[in-house]
Amino acid sequence: MMNISAPVYLEDKLEEVERSGKLEYRSGTLPTWCPGCGYFSISEGVGKAMTELGLDQKDTVCVSGIGCASRFPFFMNTYGFHSLHGRALPVATGIKVANEDLTVVVVGGDGDAFAIGGGHIPHAARRNVDITYILFDNGVYGLTKGQTSPTSILGFKTTTTPYLNFDQPLNPLMMLLSYGASWVAQAYAGEPHHLTEMIKAAIDHRGFSYLHVLSPCVTFDKTSMTYKNLDMSVHPLPDDHDASDLSAAMIAAQVTDHRQIGVYFSSERPTLSDGLDEISERAKKTA
Amino acid sequence: MARTAKQRTDIQIAICGSAGDGTIAAGDILKQAMAKAGYNVIAFDVYPPEIRGFGKCIARARITSEQVYSLKSESDCLISLNDSHAIPHVSEVCKFGTVIYEDTPVSTVGEGAHVSSHLSPAHLPYGVAFREISERITSSARSRNIVAVGYLAGLYDMPAEVFHEVISGKFAGKSKELADSVGAAFDAGFQTGVDTFRLHFDRIGASGGKGKQTDLVMMSGNAAVVRGCLDAGIDAFFGYPITPATTIMEMLAREMPKHSGRLLQTEDEISAIAATIGAGYTGARAATATSGPGLALMTEMMGLGAMAEVPAVAFVSQRGGPSTGMPTKTEQSDLNLAVFGVAGDGQRIVLAPTNVEGCYKCAGKAFEMAEAFQTPVIVLLDLYLSNRYEAVQLPSKNPFAENCSKTPRKNASPAEYNRYKLTSDGVSPRAIPGETGRMHTVTGLEHDERGRPSDQPRIHEAMSVKRHQKLLPALKHPGVTISKRFGDKGVVDVGVLGWGSTFGEILEAMIEARKEGIRCSAMKVVMLSPLPVGPVKAFLDDCNEVLVPELNYEAQFASLVTGATGRPVHRLNRVRGTPMSVGEILDQIRQLVGHSGKIAAE
Repeated sequence: MMNISAPVYLEDKLEEVERSGKLEYRSGTLPTWCPGCGYFSISEGVGKAMTELGLDQKDTVCVSGIGCASRFPFFMNTYGFHSLHGRALPVATGIKVANEDLTVVVVGGDGDAFAIGGGHIPHAARRNVDITYILFDNGVYGLTKGQTSPTSILGFKTTTTPYLNFDQPLNPLMMLLSYGASWVAQAYAGEPHHLTEMIKAAIDHRGFSYLHVLSPCVTFDKTSMTYKNLDMSVHPLPDDHDASDLSAAMIAAQVTDHRQIGVYFSSERPTLSDGLDEISERAKKTA
Repeated sequence: MARTAKQRTDIQIAICGSAGDGTIAAGDILKQAMAKAGYNVIAFDVYPPEIRGFGKCIARARITSEQVYSLKSESDCLISLNDSHAIPHVSEVCKFGTVIYEDTPVSTVGEGAHVSSHLSPAHLPYGVAFREISERITSSARSRNIVAVGYLAGLYDMPAEVFHEVISGKFAGKSKELADSVGAAFDAGFQTGVDTFRLHFDRIGASGGKGKQTDLVMMSGNAAVVRGCLDAGIDAFFGYPITPATTIMEMLAREMPKHSGRLLQTEDEISAIAATIGAGYTGARAATATSGPGLALMTEMMGLGAMAEVPAVAFVSQRGGPSTGMPTKTEQSDLNLAVFGVAGDGQRIVLAPTNVEGCYKCAGKAFEMAEAFQTPVIVLLDLYLSNRYEAVQLPSKNPFAENCSKTPRKNASPAEYNRYKLTSDGVSPRAIPGETGRMHTVTGLEHDERGRPSDQPRIHEAMSVKRHQKLLPALKHPGVTISKRFGDKGVVDVGVLGWGSTFGEILEAMIEARKEGIRCSAMKVVMLSPLPVGPVKAFLDDCNEVLVPELNYEAQFASLVTGATGRPVHRLNRVRGTPMSVGEILDQIRQLVGHSGKIAAE
């Protein structure tokens, strides 16, 4: 975690924020997250990334499911769809299929994505729907007040695992790589500058981009994915990591003794819209 | 029941075979040809869930010179392509009806295995060497079904030209040799039929009541749904295969890309409706199609559609239930799920067409209503309606309005824009992504007028009122029948109230009852939600007794009506997986007026 070394004055900070332009992407609704939540860092990063990419708010849609992370669209001054638990990806697929001019950013938490919504991820990935999926992973169910999630570590104590969690956690990066996601990266809420760069690259990627963000839940996790623990275990991917090499990405994704952040894999292939356009051309020729 | 020649034509043909015999294909050629000849045709095929594997297939077609509304419970002719399957259906052949079968020497088959040993003395038998003729003409037994259709056509004086037109149309684009060979098989069967000494009087002459028709098309309920979707300008479709709705997606998959429409086979029904709602949110006309088990999975999303006020259309073709139930058998047991299946108070529009033309109308109008009232719309079909064929005349001019959305006023300031503004009609102006300055978030959470989550008591109450009140004007939506009364006007002895595919049988029964001197009328209710309580009550007021026949065990429609009107009704429920029989409805009508069936039949 960053140490504050010099005094920060509120007036200076406000002026700086206003000048940055990122407020354009913030709605009048104040975030409902707990003070210290890593999600503030992610929403800050998304706003910055959108500012720097120059996205038009009217052509941007934030889609989410249910959970702490999924409240995100309310805090954004873009179009938003706060849908159902686990169903953000198919809703976003429908939006993108119907209007491919829109920039679609999907956000969700680890439970929303990998528990109830796990069946949709392979299909969004293999179809290469041109959307960005930002996964806020805090390894716990926050909105229902602290239950185990599919990314909770073994031995994690929660209200539903009072005698410790015995379920093996998933490896989301391995899953996404094997599902055929064309862009896979990991970032950490405690590294906001890197995080912003990753969000920019994810949105910029043409095709399905998956950004896994490690983000502490300061309220319901005092032992596992805390800032302190993550600060120690997060390292950048090695400089010589080749993001065009799927095998190398899979090997990197299997490193468990520390968490590596950066772009694991990046490739270009036709998107779902490309495929649908091609089908349409073929149909018109045979008609 | 003996008939003489030269009466009005009303002949029902049943073709029965094993899966793989070409039974359904033979029935298809027959019904297409008869529609081309200008007859009214109603056809319904019954087939097993297995693809081959000895399942029973029956293709039935009722060919008439006058308008009729359902199949008859008795057939005038049965063609057996497989005796073991056909034997149980000999009993459905009427007195002096014909049974046509493969002319296998009886001595070569086991005792009782030949269909001829099951005929009643009043059945007229015709043994024909289908297999031998097919092998002689085409060097293969595979055209047995075509020989059988040819024989039928020859035997009943049907015009051969229309059959040839249909056959060449079917094989257009395939090899000419194949088309010629099938045509020759038909001709050989036809000549055999012409040369047969006839024991029966029935004839289906060259032209039906209306002469040769070109604007009448033979169409299934699902095909009519597809035409409705295309005419309404469908932009996007998302679906997951499920009998009996799959053919809707299959037909759209062929047609939509030609018009730059986009279709995606999703990973499950949940994502199908989710993507449909996602597409609807962007302003597209989007739909999905499923059956009861799929609708069960979709209910949570239906609630989201109601709460977030997003247009979406779902075609739901019912089959036998619960659970996986009877995938290839018909039933009307998903009414409760369609009307009430949602968490919380999440009303939506439910339309249930009663015939093939209604499928077309309801499909197109569903898109208009979904947009106009910003709501999911379910079009509730069933297997009997999805798969049955009727000769229909579709309007030459597209009857569906292009855009029915209530959009924000052009010059109004975006800052004032409230997605869920409380208005006098409950419908809020809808901005879609891409519109400057009207950014908002739609949500399944209860929300205030701006769309921000809120659980304030007054807001939940006001929004609940809004979401329900806004649907009521759908009862006056133009260009679609919401409910309609047929038969005697004024006070009647018996009124029959019905919905969905069963209404054809209800009409037929009502017409028969009136012939017997019973004052009788029938009312169909097409919009099941919101229910047209006024017209239904007025109808109930006019009826001394009310009968509600439907294909479910729990009397779901009868309960809906009783609940909404507080009036008792008589229930008639059948769950055999087959359409209701006209005779059973008629018997109930007679009982209700105290007639004995015997006296009335005289």
